[in-house]
Amino acid sequence: MLLMLEDEHKEHLAFLTSVGLDVVQEFCKISLGFIKKGSNPKMYQAAASKLGVDAETVMHGVEGLMYLFTESSKLMVNEIDFQDSIMTLGFPEDLKGLLLQQYLENRKEIRCILSEMSMDLPQYHNLEWRFDVKLASRSLKHQIDPTILLKLHIADSGERHTQVLQTDPSNLVHMTNVLDKALQEMKSQHCRRIVRNI
Amino acid sequence: MRFHFCGDLDCPDWVLAEISILAKLTSIKMKLLCAQVMKDMLGSGIDYEKVYKLTTDAKFELGDVKASIAALTFIFSSAAKYSVEGEALSNELQQLGLPKEHSVALCKVYEDSLGKLQEELKFKSLRLSHLESAQWRVDYVIGSSKLKELNEPAVQLRLKIRNPDTDQVEPVAFNLSADKFRVFLSELKQAQTAMEGLS
Repeated sequence: MLLMLEDEHKEHLAFLTSVGLDVVQEFCKISLGFIKKGSNPKMYQAAASKLGVDAETVMHGVEGLMYLFTESSKLMVNEIDFQDSIMTLGFPEDLKGLLLQQYLENRKEIRCILSEMSMDLPQYHNLEWRFDVKLASRSLKHQIDPTILLKLHIADSGERHTQVLQTDPSNLVHMTNVLDKALQEMKSQHCRRIVRNI
Repeated sequence: MRFHFCGDLDCPDWVLAEISILAKLTSIKMKLLCAQVMKDMLGSGIDYEKVYKLTTDAKFELGDVKASIAALTFIFSSAAKYSVEGEALSNELQQLGLPKEHSVALCKVYEDSLGKLQEELKFKSLRLSHLESAQWRVDYVIGSSKLKELNEPAVQLRLKIRNPDTDQVEPVAFNLSADKFRVFLSELKQAQTAMEGLS
């Protein structure tokens, strides 16, 4: 699959042709570090003063590299397609080779980071329960009313929430039957076929 | 196979796997490890340095150390939950494959701290909120902006309630007139007699 690069992106990356190969290597390392840990704007200022160009140009160059790497890792572009995609930028051969090498070395790690960024549903953390019998209340004395109190702990993108629920025994038996049936569903023919083929 | 310490259910597979790893320790180290885990469960915290020293001889990896602490915690808490006696626990563990000296060492630690462990588990049981303290004050209202001469006593109550999730104490304050307070007090006394009838 070929990557289609936009014109603006190509302009930003064109800056890389004007600097030496080791500087591009440095930029690659910086952009990979930013992908892993987040960007640090102070680096742009320091690099810009060393090279004698605008901080903004440096920022565009590094961000252009970051975007190139993340898009190619996302789409799992193979070598030939990657080389074809960057051919349109008009880079010298050694620069293309360097970019290809950096891409191949780091794409697995970039994919790992990208997979963690996807949408997250609340996750089950813990369930506490308690079995009570209500013997009397203000309105009615001498009663026997069993209830079960459940506290569900949920983790939602790092934060913990709790939800308190109450049920009577027959409802609890029904719930466990339904959940049991759901587990049994994993052992049915249909699910087994799918699990085998993944 | 039904085990009393698992509540008459099957023993979980991971505990079975861990028992074979625990059997690699010598029985003295087993006793010290059980003592450390019990200390952790009673709330004093676990000394990981000592645990590492105990397990390096048997060449446990980090995963093994974590798994053995988890297995011991499960065995202790599950046995305390179903109030299993030391002898019965020892027999069942030997059935699962834990050597005799290890089972005996484990059960000795268990029996010694059973009372304290059950208290700790009772303390940690689910509770929606705790009443920390109650403060009261009796006022005599002389007048207000609506009526010049009021001359009524009023009670102010402040209850401090602790939320077990966040461990924060929140005050709930309210005001009662004399009649309302009499009704409140008699209802609470009825609840108290009902409770005393049970305990």
